[in-house]
Amino acid sequence: MHLVAAGFSLRSIIVICLLSLLLVSCSPGKHSRNVAGSEIRFWNGFTGPDGATMEKIVKRFERETGIRVKMQIIPWGTYYDKLVLSLAYGGAPDVFICHANRIAEFARYGVFRPLDDLIEADRDFDPSDFLPNIWRAGQYEGKQVGLPLDCHPQGLYYNLKLFREAGIVDAQGNPKPPETWEEFLDAARRLTKDKDGDGRPDQWGFAFTWLRTNWITFISQHGGSILSPDLKRAALAEPPAVRATQQMCDIITRYGVAPKPEGFDSWMGFRQGRVAMAIEGIYMLSSVEEQKGLEYAGASVPSFGPKRAVWGGSHLLCMPKDLSPQRAQLVWRFMRYLSDHSLDWAEGGQIPVRRSLLDQPRFRQMRVQYAFAKQLPYVVFEPASHKSTEIMPFYDAAIEAALLGIKSPQDALNEAARRIQQVLDRP
Amino acid sequence: MRVSLGRTMLYLLMTAAAILFLAPVAWMLVMSILPEHEIFQPVPHWIPQEPTLQNFQEVFKRAEEAPIMRWFWNSLFVAGTGTIAYLLLSSMAAYAFSRLEFPGRNILFFVVLSTLIIPGQVTIIPVFLILQKLHWFNTYYALIVPGLAGAFGVFLLRQFFLTIPREIEEAAFIDGCGRAGIYWRIILPLSKPALATLAIFSFLGGWNDFMLPLIATNEIEMRTLPVGLTIFLGRYSMQYGLVMATAVLATLPVLVMFLLFQRHIIRGVVLTGLKG
Amino acid sequence: MGYLFIAPYLVLFVAFVLVPVVWGFFISLHNWHVLGEQKPFVGFANYRALLRDDLFGIALLNTGYFALLTVVPGNIVSLLLALGLNARIRGENVYKAIFYLPVILSVAVVAIIWRWMYSTEFGLLNYYLKVVWQFLHLPGEFQPVAWLNSPQTAMPSLALMSIWWGAGGNMLIYLAGLRGIPEEYYEAARIDGAGTWGRFWHITLPLLKPSLLFCLVMSLIGSSQVFGQSYILTGGGPHYSTLTVVLYMYQTGFSLYRMGYACAVAYVMFIIVLGLTLLQFRLLSARQEE
Repeated sequence: MHLVAAGFSLRSIIVICLLSLLLVSCSPGKHSRNVAGSEIRFWNGFTGPDGATMEKIVKRFERETGIRVKMQIIPWGTYYDKLVLSLAYGGAPDVFICHANRIAEFARYGVFRPLDDLIEADRDFDPSDFLPNIWRAGQYEGKQVGLPLDCHPQGLYYNLKLFREAGIVDAQGNPKPPETWEEFLDAARRLTKDKDGDGRPDQWGFAFTWLRTNWITFISQHGGSILSPDLKRAALAEPPAVRATQQMCDIITRYGVAPKPEGFDSWMGFRQGRVAMAIEGIYMLSSVEEQKGLEYAGASVPSFGPKRAVWGGSHLLCMPKDLSPQRAQLVWRFMRYLSDHSLDWAEGGQIPVRRSLLDQPRFRQMRVQYAFAKQLPYVVFEPASHKSTEIMPFYDAAIEAALLGIKSPQDALNEAARRIQQVLDRP
Repeated sequence: MRVSLGRTMLYLLMTAAAILFLAPVAWMLVMSILPEHEIFQPVPHWIPQEPTLQNFQEVFKRAEEAPIMRWFWNSLFVAGTGTIAYLLLSSMAAYAFSRLEFPGRNILFFVVLSTLIIPGQVTIIPVFLILQKLHWFNTYYALIVPGLAGAFGVFLLRQFFLTIPREIEEAAFIDGCGRAGIYWRIILPLSKPALATLAIFSFLGGWNDFMLPLIATNEIEMRTLPVGLTIFLGRYSMQYGLVMATAVLATLPVLVMFLLFQRHIIRGVVLTGLKG
Repeated sequence: MGYLFIAPYLVLFVAFVLVPVVWGFFISLHNWHVLGEQKPFVGFANYRALLRDDLFGIALLNTGYFALLTVVPGNIVSLLLALGLNARIRGENVYKAIFYLPVILSVAVVAIIWRWMYSTEFGLLNYYLKVVWQFLHLPGEFQPVAWLNSPQTAMPSLALMSIWWGAGGNMLIYLAGLRGIPEEYYEAARIDGAGTWGRFWHITLPLLKPSLLFCLVMSLIGSSQVFGQSYILTGGGPHYSTLTVVLYMYQTGFSLYRMGYACAVAYVMFIIVLGLTLLQFRLLSARQEE
């Protein structure tokens, strides 16, 4: 209104406002459309050292083939939000990473371009070089929608110094990681110590880190599962899963060899030598590598139950469905290159999934990865249901309630099963 | 002059209440200048032993992942442009509703008025889809335009315009002033208090709005200050001195506005309450 | 000419208010996922599913609990503050400004401040509670309250914070209402022998009816929309104790991208709030006739 006093006419003010709005709409933050041209747009969430490793491989691809690749790293926290919106409304990349547990979700809406024709046409690509259970993770309704790049299973990380101190060694005096439930319990007991005599342990034999994945390992080893094989029923309240959950609770309360997962940073505890054993994914390797003074090694997860099983995740390379045939060819070349060079990718702390690469001496030298890789044949993923991520909060809540002693395992799992069934029953 | 016991009690109570109300804000200011080692203490240091601007420096150092200046500018631009546009649009519509005759005027006004009771959240999802369809996602349009459709300004200004005596307009009419001229040169200047109040509230609303920027953008440089603050909180929650510093930065303009326009604001709230 | 003036606003109003309100209902009748090419019409299936939805029921209860904890207590606080200010104390403007200040803060700032206040170990609240405990020589050691970390105290924590945040607004309206009551009424009552409480009950309250109605309705509508507090501070936890309806709607629409279902949630909430508002109007204006 002071503007009016200054002599600006209504018209000029409106013009100014409109102009500024226009100017501003040319600001950054507009989505780019699919650029025609031989540049491949690649999205992933590999921040940190992972990203640096991937960057190197991508650069080598560019040098060797002359094809330009524009890699965009979006932190996993916002990655899928951005991916979904770009697939729905424009600006989607040409190739992107998708976790195994989200393949079904996206595939259900026909978001992927199936790779079968490209695989057929590629004469020196052999799908049987891949471990079958992991190759299957990229399938949906009979079509191959994703190319598995790696697998990140859990394994047992253990502290060599604490093992030696507790005398848990083999005939040669080397620390011996437990392989069975009994050995585990024995070792954990000997490794749990109350050093300052205040009645509470200062050193723990074991600690639960990521509850969800630890739990999936446990229940799978007892033959349990979250959903029934046909993915239509919630199976986590059935006896095998309940037994496994009870076993986890016993580790905390009955045997007292692990702390309650509350107000205690378990992984930090392992890194700082206050926890002797932890079950975590191979992706934590760089975290222990950078901890000065920590003597650690990796081994297969002990058998807590009758079945051999261990939780794992996998990064798959996928294409969006509306790629032109030429582009698809280009992208396939890139995907193949990454897969063929997945030993380079393994340097960053991942595990390749091609048998030909797993056999190589270079991989053998990656000690922890090699130890964890032995479990690949029996890796278990989250259920391949398109509602997989939607039901996660329910079993997360149940696991927490059970381990914190708020509810009994059966009650907690019953409640989760009921809620999960509601979601599954929905059309 | 004896001060009665009741009166003293009243003063005590009011002062106590004032302290309680002010404490959280005061603490925010204090904590933003506390060094790290003074923050994680069992006893709160109301008076810093070593006040420091380190927290603020650290905030700016993290500009790469958390571009606070960009957020500040976004909020300023969105709130500012939004306010000007809102005043313009609302006053024009309010003028039409109060002074101009056209068929369907009353029904239209009733429809507009009735949307006042619709909670914003009911429409947020369709608005999101509309923004996507218009390709406005992650642009300033998405942050500014949806807020311009609010009925509050139209309602408030119409009520105010109705109180302007018709004689002034008639006189201007006789003098040869057109409708637009009357609007611009007579109605608006006479409505300065109402417009000022509306401007302040619109600016505050645009500055503080949380849900719309949250769903209208996901590129980090297009976020506004409130959303940016929560990103900061999520990432650096262990370094609470930093977080408090960002809160102070986000609040300073608003605090300054408040101290300057206090009377306007308070009068405005009363005005709207009485009209309601 | 009228159309010309109203056109700019009207275009935006239609586009961003009318169309969304109607389209939102339309969407709620479909199985609408952002990625889906097909968005099949399913009639009222989403609404039927809502009836059986555990989490939606929890969200409704939580939102109702929040409303219970903030609407009446908050308005009582506002009214008390207004009564205090009405007594024409010195420095009235300073007090007024202090009480109103929180209102102009963004929800993000409020959340950041109170997240620290509620910290179990370092928060101001636990510290001063401990001080009071020791001052009153209460038995035993003070147990720090878990505030935002315990399912029992999380929602009350959000409520207390929200009362602090909003009390100033309603206080001003009540103050204006109080100032509008002519002094003569009180005089007359005093002459008739009415005490302080009697004056309050028979004169102040009835004459404040319009302000009360307005504030209570606005508080109710406002509390039904609670989102930022739980989104920022607790994410709906712990154990779903702070999951509110709008948060549930947000998660359904922007994490799961199930727009149809999310719109159904929005509409049910809208109907409920509308119903409660109309009920409130009826109740309070009926009393006015007395």
